[in-house]
Amino acid sequence: MDAPLLQLRKVEKTFPNGTVALRGVDFDAYAGRVHGLLGANGAGKSTLINILSGAAPASRGTIVWRGREVAFKTPAEANAAGIATIHQHIPLAPTLSVLENIFLGRSGMWRHNPGERIRFEALCRDVGYAIDPDVLVADLPIGKRQMVAIMQALGGGADLIVMDEPTASLANEEREIVYQAVRRLAAQGKGIVFVSHFLDEVVALTDQVTVLRDGREAMRAKTKDVDERAIAEAIVGKAVATLDHLREDRAVVTGPELLIVRNLASGDKLRPVSLQVRRGEIVGLAGLLGAGRSELLLAVFGADRHATGEVMLDGEPLPRSTAGAVRADVALVPEDRKTQGLIPGFEIWRNITLPHLDDTAFGRLLTRRETEWARGAAAIEKLRIKAPSPETVVDELSGGNAQKVTVAKWLFGAVKLLLLDEPTAGIDVGAKADILALTRRLAESGVGVIIVFSEFEELLAVCDRILVMRDGAIVAERAASATSEHELVLLAGGRGARGERAAHPIH
Amino acid sequence: MTTKDWRRYFGLREAGVYYALLLLMAIIGLVTASSSGANYFSAANLTNILYQASLVGMMGVAMTVILITGNFDLSVASVAALSGAVLISLAGALGFWPAAAVAMLIAIGVGLLNGAIVQLLGINAFIVTLGTLTAIRGLVLIVTNSRSLMIEDPAVKAQMVAFEGGRAPIQAALFVIGGLLVAGAAYARFRQKKDKTATPWGAAIGGVALIGLGLLGGPSLSVAKPVVYTAVYTLVVWFVLGFTTIGRRVYAVGGNSEAARLSGVNVGLYKMAAFVLCSGTAGFAGILFASRLGAINPTALQGAELTVIAAAILGGTSLFGGAGSVVKTLVGALLLFALANGFNILDLGANYQGLIEGTVVVAAAAIYTVGGARRRRA
Repeated sequence: MDAPLLQLRKVEKTFPNGTVALRGVDFDAYAGRVHGLLGANGAGKSTLINILSGAAPASRGTIVWRGREVAFKTPAEANAAGIATIHQHIPLAPTLSVLENIFLGRSGMWRHNPGERIRFEALCRDVGYAIDPDVLVADLPIGKRQMVAIMQALGGGADLIVMDEPTASLANEEREIVYQAVRRLAAQGKGIVFVSHFLDEVVALTDQVTVLRDGREAMRAKTKDVDERAIAEAIVGKAVATLDHLREDRAVVTGPELLIVRNLASGDKLRPVSLQVRRGEIVGLAGLLGAGRSELLLAVFGADRHATGEVMLDGEPLPRSTAGAVRADVALVPEDRKTQGLIPGFEIWRNITLPHLDDTAFGRLLTRRETEWARGAAAIEKLRIKAPSPETVVDELSGGNAQKVTVAKWLFGAVKLLLLDEPTAGIDVGAKADILALTRRLAESGVGVIIVFSEFEELLAVCDRILVMRDGAIVAERAASATSEHELVLLAGGRGARGERAAHPIH
Repeated sequence: MTTKDWRRYFGLREAGVYYALLLLMAIIGLVTASSSGANYFSAANLTNILYQASLVGMMGVAMTVILITGNFDLSVASVAALSGAVLISLAGALGFWPAAAVAMLIAIGVGLLNGAIVQLLGINAFIVTLGTLTAIRGLVLIVTNSRSLMIEDPAVKAQMVAFEGGRAPIQAALFVIGGLLVAGAAYARFRQKKDKTATPWGAAIGGVALIGLGLLGGPSLSVAKPVVYTAVYTLVVWFVLGFTTIGRRVYAVGGNSEAARLSGVNVGLYKMAAFVLCSGTAGFAGILFASRLGAINPTALQGAELTVIAAAILGGTSLFGGAGSVVKTLVGALLLFALANGFNILDLGANYQGLIEGTVVVAAAAIYTVGGARRRRA
């Protein structure tokens, strides 16, 4: 067996505030192999990545890089040694072109450099992906930005590439591009560390898999020796029930109509859309990124000022403002928790009580800390948010736990209609099942739900009825019990069951 | 409360502006005592500093609110000057109160205009108010025809003096406010277990300090009326920001306006209201300023907007929204005017004043930034 590129031995990390993130982790990365790294939110993945990338030093333990013990002090040092890290939140300069972003870190005085284009072309060949070098990054969809970030990381000629959830925000076909790039790079002898929550892609893509739990290694195996269930059990630490149990024979929902949408439209993003939701019904929106799913939810919620059409809730027109929607007991968990979901700098309790703040206050005006704090504590318990107390500022939460806060803030007021946009993005398996089960319980209590998932498996598990969107319009409707992942992929991807449209790439 | 809380609560980042004010006053006091023997800490001098800082302090409080909502208003000094000019030019014909009402309406109108351009057209507030700063100053020149205006009518003059001039005894008020603060802090500590709150030591110390001032100053202690107006205004805004749902939403709007909007907060209304508050306060300050002199000069208050913003920055207000405290802004204003007052008393010459003031502002910003970063890392 050849020597590993990178060896971690008994690496520990303790933060100054006493939090222990890693308690002695061993990790090996070999050239030419793809290493899957998994774990629940807060298991220590991000910390491990930060140590690998030089963003944070290890408290104890040794790191051996190409047979030499090292201690990277800055990301630049790790980079120079040949370790490139692609972080989850893509740090690109939106106002610069693709080319300029890819070679952002290079030295030299001139902004434009003819050698760059030649290197860029070589890079495209290496990755097996072609993109216009002169397009501004701001104009690219998120999938292409992810590829630019990957190329940026490779621009420096790295030998080990660490990818932190590179596919988390991508649609299926965009993911495929990333997979191809990963396979190609591995074939060229690069070592890859691939962090992901998606078990299927880890099984399909990686050679080795390491699972972290509570800062320790919970599993290290060759991928071919394990299956998804074994990995899931290692992540959670106990046998997980699959999502399937949620699908137990569900009666057809026959409650009264709760929401009636007629000809809701907004610019090019949303063609006139009509739909109904009954009380207690969960309606799923399937579709690729950019198909208009989020736009539809925002328009129903009254957050889109330019939307036209009719939205009736319980027989009354829903006011066209977010404040009016909240007053009418409509709730929205938006797609992007960072920019749309949370107030940074606010504690968990302040974030939780924001939508129904008036209910917690004396005469709707004087805030009552006791009540609000209790709601924060209840949210932590209900959704098993990993935080020391409601006093924790949301910026300090890991991604999945922050996501739980965006869901939890709607659980303390009356809600008739719940709009969920990718509520489980970036959440680990256990928490995902919690949120899905919670959604089901809410529906059983009579709440109407519209839910967006990029994962068709989740849609099928939790929904009663699925609407497929494409290019801003609803193109198909299926009962969840009468369709399959396969059919949904075909419907959403443009190869409709009725063949009404030719296949075409969607960007 | 753990040592970590103590360190945060009384650290430079949280309480630096208080230390800076105390330190500065101690230094100036010592130097004046040793060089000229004059008493810097005389009631007359200290209340004079309060008087000088009152208008900037008042506008600083409103500026803090608009900064918290994530916007910016450079036009305050021009609006104050316009309000003063309108008052002086109309008071002869209309009488003081109607003219003051017109001046306030015009100031509020400017706030609506600023807010409408920023909110509806989506232009950056810095650019919009930089434009109105210049345009409104131009309007002042038009209203005054580039000359100083004066009030001739003695009856109007008397009303102005009654409104702005004269002093108010404050011992009783100091005892009441100080007592309320201490009582409130004690109540909060009593409810600590239930409310999960940290003891509001700031309020307690502030309350004790006010009572102490009342005892030291004695029954004859009095301040000019604008100081009273500023104090009352600050107390009201402080209470609204800290203890009401309105205040919570103001901070939420500035922290992340999109998240606030999607939580059902009427973000547009709150941001607009902050513009109106800022211009309205500037209008009121302009009325006080014009009443003080019974006259207005077309270049009156030019550049004062920068002093107002400097006070807010000294008080630790974030220029990116979501954070700020009106009490600390007020202390920031006091710091700037204590510095200016010290230069006068020590007869150091105004030449050095700008240099020192600028240095103090940058040093304060540095402490907030570096201190903030260190806290995040810990």
